Amino acid sequence: MLNMPFMRLKKVDISYKLENASVKAVRSFSCDIEKGDIVGIVGESGSGKSTLALGIMRLLPPNALLSAEIMSFDGKNILNLNQDELRRIRWKEISIVFQKAMNALSPVHKIFTQMYDVITAHSSDIPKGRAYKMLTELFGKINLPSKVLNMYPHELSGGMMQRVMIAMSLIHNPKMIIFDEVTTALDVITQGQLLDEIKRLVKEFGLTAIIITHDIGVVNEVCNKVAVMYAGELLEYGRVKDVIFSPLHPYTKALVKSHPDLRIGNELIKGIPGSLPDLTYPSKGCIFYPRCDVRLDLCKDVKPKISVLGDHIVKCHRIQG
Amino acid sequence: MEVQTEVIVTRRKGKNIIKFWHNYRQSLYGLIGFVILLLFIVVAVFAPIISPYDPHAMKGEVLLSPSISHPMGTDHLGRDVFSRIVYGTRVSLSVGFIAAGLSAIIGIFIGSFSGYYGGIVDEIVDKIVDTFLMIPAFFLILIIVAIFGNSIFYIMLVIGLTTWPQNARLMRAQALSLRERTFIMVARATGESSIRILFTHIIPNGVYPVLANTALQMGGAILTEAALSFLGLGDPNLVSWGKMIYQARPYMTFAWWTVVFPGIFIVLAVVSFSFIGDGLQYAFNPKLSVKQKEVSA
Amino acid sequence: MERILEAKRLKKYYPIRKIGRRSYVKAVDNISFSVEKGEILGILGESGCGKTTLGRVITRLETENGGDIFFLGNNISGINYRKMKNFRQKMQVIFQNPYDSFDPRMTIIKSLETPMKLLNIGQSKKNRIEIIRDAMEKAKLTPAYDYLERYPHELSGGQLQRISMLRSMLLKPSFLVADECVSMLDASVRAEVLNMLLQFRSELETSILFITHDISVAKYMCDRIMVIYAGKVMEIADAKELISNPMHPYTKALISYSPTISPQKERERFTIAGEVVTPIDPPPGCRFASRCPFAKGICRTEEPEMKEISPGHFVACHLID
Ligand SMILES: Nc1ncnc2c1ncn2[C@@H]1O[C@H](COP(=O)(O)OP(=O)(O)OP(=O)(O)O)[C@@H](O)[C@H]1O
Ligand SMILES: Nc1ncnc2c1ncn2[C@@H]1O[C@H](COP(=O)(O)OP(=O)(O)OP(=O)(O)O)[C@@H](O)[C@H]1O
Ligand SMILES: [Mg+2]
Ligand SMILES: [Mg+2]
Repeated sequence: MLNMPFMRLKKVDISYKLENASVKAVRSFSCDIEKGDIVGIVGESGSGKSTLALGIMRLLPPNALLSAEIMSFDGKNILNLNQDELRRIRWKEISIVFQKAMNALSPVHKIFTQMYDVITAHSSDIPKGRAYKMLTELFGKINLPSKVLNMYPHELSGGMMQRVMIAMSLIHNPKMIIFDEVTTALDVITQGQLLDEIKRLVKEFGLTAIIITHDIGVVNEVCNKVAVMYAGELLEYGRVKDVIFSPLHPYTKALVKSHPDLRIGNELIKGIPGSLPDLTYPSKGCIFYPRCDVRLDLCKDVKPKISVLGDHIVKCHRIQG
Repeated sequence: MEVQTEVIVTRRKGKNIIKFWHNYRQSLYGLIGFVILLLFIVVAVFAPIISPYDPHAMKGEVLLSPSISHPMGTDHLGRDVFSRIVYGTRVSLSVGFIAAGLSAIIGIFIGSFSGYYGGIVDEIVDKIVDTFLMIPAFFLILIIVAIFGNSIFYIMLVIGLTTWPQNARLMRAQALSLRERTFIMVARATGESSIRILFTHIIPNGVYPVLANTALQMGGAILTEAALSFLGLGDPNLVSWGKMIYQARPYMTFAWWTVVFPGIFIVLAVVSFSFIGDGLQYAFNPKLSVKQKEVSA
Repeated sequence: MERILEAKRLKKYYPIRKIGRRSYVKAVDNISFSVEKGEILGILGESGCGKTTLGRVITRLETENGGDIFFLGNNISGINYRKMKNFRQKMQVIFQNPYDSFDPRMTIIKSLETPMKLLNIGQSKKNRIEIIRDAMEKAKLTPAYDYLERYPHELSGGQLQRISMLRSMLLKPSFLVADECVSMLDASVRAEVLNMLLQFRSELETSILFITHDISVAKYMCDRIMVIYAGKVMEIADAKELISNPMHPYTKALISYSPTISPQKERERFTIAGEVVTPIDPPPGCRFASRCPFAKGICRTEEPEMKEISPGHFVACHLID
């Protein structure tokens, strides 16, 4: 596969089967990610960000159905890898920090035991002493004291737990890491340190990262590209300075506007009126139509095409590329 | 450009029971065990229809080898071995279910109680459990049956009363880890009583290892009953597989069928329960089915 | 004004296993504060500084190691679980980890309806379901019926977080601990939910202990803010006052670290060196001294007292007179 970007997603669809309905969580999602990119994914709660991440990792729950035209990573087709091959690349080449980080560890084993399991899963000949030293060093980078290794998960604070999971994702120096809402329990100082560490890894080791977050401030601090998702669809994708500071899509505009800022006065912050559409129905026209304040008649029934303006992609009838 | 759409996982989530069955099926052993158990249950329920003769009738000739009219031969008193085995199924299954069920109930209550409350209660229970686990259970059963008599009721009771500590230990471990979970704290914060928390949250969430173990214990109970009967301590009024072997001992060198057939059934029953235990582990712990070592979502 | 809750010299020490002597994590150490009726008191601080522990001790979900808690005029410190039950409905907690806040074997409706039933809210099951539905639609979980029959693992992080919030709010408490309750929500939904919480506060005059690491959210929500470092209070003041005029060096650092969405990427940060001090057998003196760029000799030997530098603005720092 010549000239393939580092990661290419094309027409990824993921739906969850429920008893009497099916939730279409990701709809026809396409985007390219180059090596060394830090891509932020932002979007309303429930719009399929975590689902997409799990899909890339092929870790979807059993009631999920994934289909795609292309899903490639570093020259490999993720779609037709079998469980063994997947296991080989997970953690080692591509790793993820789950949003449910706080729930992912076993409550009855010490942190060290669980981290050691991940270490030996890929390189079995590391003695405990060395692993301990390695982990202590790793913990230092994300501001975690080494005594955490001897504690049980329930004895950690939310942010400590999150950082343990971040450390776990870094163990094998993967080529790509997906961070799913990893700063939710981190204070600004630790968050700053983590973001600096991510930047350093990108610069020194050519790491590629996807950062799923609700915090546009975080996107602004570390990412060079950002994808805006809404109800499973990609609405806008491009460089941060284009998308955040001169957004084209009405949803992105509204999202940026509802972000509270410290430096601005204390006026009432407003959300976007309306709510996410019912994801169990397929959408006919533009997915954002019901809440859009600049909608056209056309938007109701005709799905907008993706307009490409250089490296800025938008899905809106008002924008012609 | 290749256009290829691939469907990777297609599974329907249905009602809980369907989901349960789906996972259970993943274990071939579980499936086999289940089928055998089903057959046993049918046999036990329809014993009068299935068995060709009255199990106690001493009509036929003694020690006949297997033939069309007596598919498993006859014993030293001329009773049909097949009919006796069919009726023996009833005894074995009820011993399995009742004894192991009793053991499960006691174990679940004591284990969850001591794990959830912790403190002094837990320490005392832990000591008792340790003591019980140290005493050879079969020996204890022997003594008790010898003292209190050997009706099937006592046997079931005694097996139940001596095997619960295993279950208690499993349940206690579950309760210990569950009580640190946030949703238990939520229940406490909304003022649910401790008893309610125990019954609606701790037990439903932590009971699975105990259930899987109970399947194994059912096999164990059947074996124990057979062993007691074999030692001549079985219930004198009932036909059981163990007793059949016990009574056939003097003749087994020249009438193999009197021992081998009951023996096969004992083994089958024990194996089927332990296979079911295997299947249950899959059903209760879906992560086993995808054989991956990493921490998954 | 009526005082809802008052904590006096509250302590929570966790013993940690160490060979030889016993040492303690002093997660909450001598913290005193009070909350008025209808007031929102924000708690800011680094990860692991004891915010969650404080919230749990205050609501007696963890047993305190010292100090007094007065709730509605009653001293509730040291009373047993059964006596505490009388106060349970009046004080509710929204926990930090939404993924673990729901019994995995119960549907959402059951998780929401049961506590209401136990506390006699709503006349009938039908009525209660109606109340729940209304609340869910307000929190942008539409259509509500779609979520009610689902199991917790079938919802996204932000959705669970909102439902967990609703569960506590529906019980109409007079005191609510909200532990990072909007951390997984994007800006637009967060705005809506925060406004819902503010409206709830003004309708029921509920006092809220609002734990967060997001300073802009704290500024938007809180009447007063308390800054904690390693189990100790550093500064308490009116929210606007604290953010516009921080006195303690630690507060200043926190504020300067807050990520923003202003175009200039690199902002000068008021950096603090070193890693977070975990409150294990802390040395005498000010806990922040080891990282404070202005620390003097006295900071390392003597613990600073709380000083009122202007009405309602308290700081614990030797450098401030
Ligand atoms: N296992 C599941 N079964 C059914 N529906 C699911 C399942 N997991 C997620 N969903 C639904 O799919 C949609 C997308 O969920 P997802 O977790 O990807 O959202 P998200 O963008 O990560 O949101 P958040 O920001 O709140 O974490 C949601 O509406 C959710 O309710
Ligand atoms: N059960 C426990 N046993 C031992 N130590 C504990 C226990 N619970 C919390 N701690 C310790 O107490 C300290 C404070 O934890 P707490 O959860 O209150 O932090 P937090 O301020 O809520 O942090 P975060 O913002 O990361 O959630 C941490 O160092 C933690 O390791
Ligand atoms: Mg998510
Ligand atoms: Mg916390």
